[in-house]
Amino acid sequence: MMAGNRISFEVMRYTFIIAALAIFLIPIVWMTTLAFKPVAEWTTAISEITWLPKNPTLGNFEFIFTGQTDELIITMPNTATMPIIASLVIASLGTLIAVVVGTLGAYGVSRFQVGNNLPLSVLQLRLFPPMAVMIPVMMMWSYLALVDTFWGLSLIYGIVTLPFSFWLMKTFFDEVPREIEEAALVEGCSQWRVFYRVTLPMVKAPLATTVLFVFILNWSDYVIALLLTRKDWVTIPVYMNSLNSAMTGEMYGSKAAIGLIAAIPPVVLGIIIQKHLVRGLTFGALKQ
Amino acid sequence: MASNPQTLTLAQQGAKLGRWMTLPTQLLLVFIFAFPGLMIIYVSLSWWGPLEGVPWYYAYESLNWFENYIYLFEDERLWGSIWRTLLIMLVVVPVEFFLGLGLAILFVDNFTGKRVFYSILLMPMMIVPAVAGYMFYILFQSNGPVNQLLSLITGFEIDILWLSETDNAFVAIMIADIWQWTPLMFLILLAGLLGVPEDQLKAATLLGANWGQKFLRIALPKMRIVMIIALVIRAVEAFKLFDVMYVMTKGGPGVATETISVYVYKVTFMELEWSYVSAIGFAILMFLTALGAIGIIILSNAQKKRLANVVD
Repeated sequence: MMAGNRISFEVMRYTFIIAALAIFLIPIVWMTTLAFKPVAEWTTAISEITWLPKNPTLGNFEFIFTGQTDELIITMPNTATMPIIASLVIASLGTLIAVVVGTLGAYGVSRFQVGNNLPLSVLQLRLFPPMAVMIPVMMMWSYLALVDTFWGLSLIYGIVTLPFSFWLMKTFFDEVPREIEEAALVEGCSQWRVFYRVTLPMVKAPLATTVLFVFILNWSDYVIALLLTRKDWVTIPVYMNSLNSAMTGEMYGSKAAIGLIAAIPPVVLGIIIQKHLVRGLTFGALKQ
Repeated sequence: MASNPQTLTLAQQGAKLGRWMTLPTQLLLVFIFAFPGLMIIYVSLSWWGPLEGVPWYYAYESLNWFENYIYLFEDERLWGSIWRTLLIMLVVVPVEFFLGLGLAILFVDNFTGKRVFYSILLMPMMIVPAVAGYMFYILFQSNGPVNQLLSLITGFEIDILWLSETDNAFVAIMIADIWQWTPLMFLILLAGLLGVPEDQLKAATLLGANWGQKFLRIALPKMRIVMIIALVIRAVEAFKLFDVMYVMTKGGPGVATETISVYVYKVTFMELEWSYVSAIGFAILMFLTALGAIGIIILSNAQKKRLANVVD
């Protein structure tokens, strides 16, 4: 009886999990294969469905990187190279700002009983929809000549992801035992040196997790880049959605190719920091 | 002890260093809250817009006090978008919650392939939302794979206009959101389930509790805070919904799938009524601040209760 229950539970478990995985994977698989399909296979008749490209091609990638391909009569002046560089630069710099500012602030709050309202004020940043303050931010950015520059976009990314770096580092610092720091203080180290030489090396791994997590968030943004870039520093998601041509209509394959490129880094980084994702997503409130 | 000069200076030193270390955070907060906050309040009390030909600080010339806020209550398109946002929230968040919980229950104990399944299951959450929106945009084309799959399964030629008919577009957007964020619920709820003390479960087993009883009586009460956190995080993000929806339907057909964020975006760039947008923005900020305050009170009460339970 017991064994029978066990087996039926296992069967049920695998059935459900495999069904869920299939559903979760279909959109990803579809976009991936579409990126390698030639123009003729971008769309098919309603009665047939082609999972794998019949004539796989790199034409879509060729088109987005060189602006032309034998398969299409059109050419495109804006290639994907610059948006990819822009996304990398802006997400990295934004991450740097968020993590440096957040780490310093978190240590100050965690150790020295200053800024009692600070953690909640920081959290508010995440509560508000960006749309609500969009107009003043856009005006501020244009007054300060920050629109469509990499530093301008990095700055807003640094601010928007500050809640995550701040709260994550705060919970990490809260967990570091004070005894070691106190021992270093007794030996006459200044408090800054204790932070820099003793505590920071102890949270190296959590810090790396925070960096990767914040990078994923910055890389994933669409709406802020849509509002604050024009042409020089357009990021990948904005570029992707501008890829429509009046002559050929939807550029399905080319968009899928750039979408695939956009999707890869966060998935890889996400798998690397898998263990700490719960912590990151809940602002440090939950551990795994 | 308290008058020991050594410890006093150390504490003072600490406070000083702490103020310096929190300064950048404070500056960034002031930078992003002070000017934008004051500006939307000021501009929202006027008719000012980018077509007025004068800079925003001349907004007092067309001061109208609370006309924008009064119009807020009469604006059917705004209330429509709020209603749609809430509707999406009320459907997707519970669906994601229960799907996530179901999956999490399947993942509590060890089985072959767990790690691989787990990694794959987390992938949708990691996809850039705008890209996820685009994936579903392709899937739901009338000659796209969803219709093709349905045709294959049913044997009829199914030609559903997913994105250009109101109800269908709604369903399509909700499916995209559920696809992307069920993994997040799964992840958080699994962490909660794994955090349930094992000795209590063992004790219950010894006392003859079955699986359902253990789940309802022991695991669920212990997971209350985890569940609240998961629901709050998803609800906040669902309220901001923009990327996926904007990529899939741009709020269309017409205004049929407009959420609050998409509506604000359109009024800003198509109708250019910036003073009115400021009024909407300020109202949203106030509303969310109030909601956030209530949430924090509830959470801290729950935390106190939990601490009290531990003491018992």
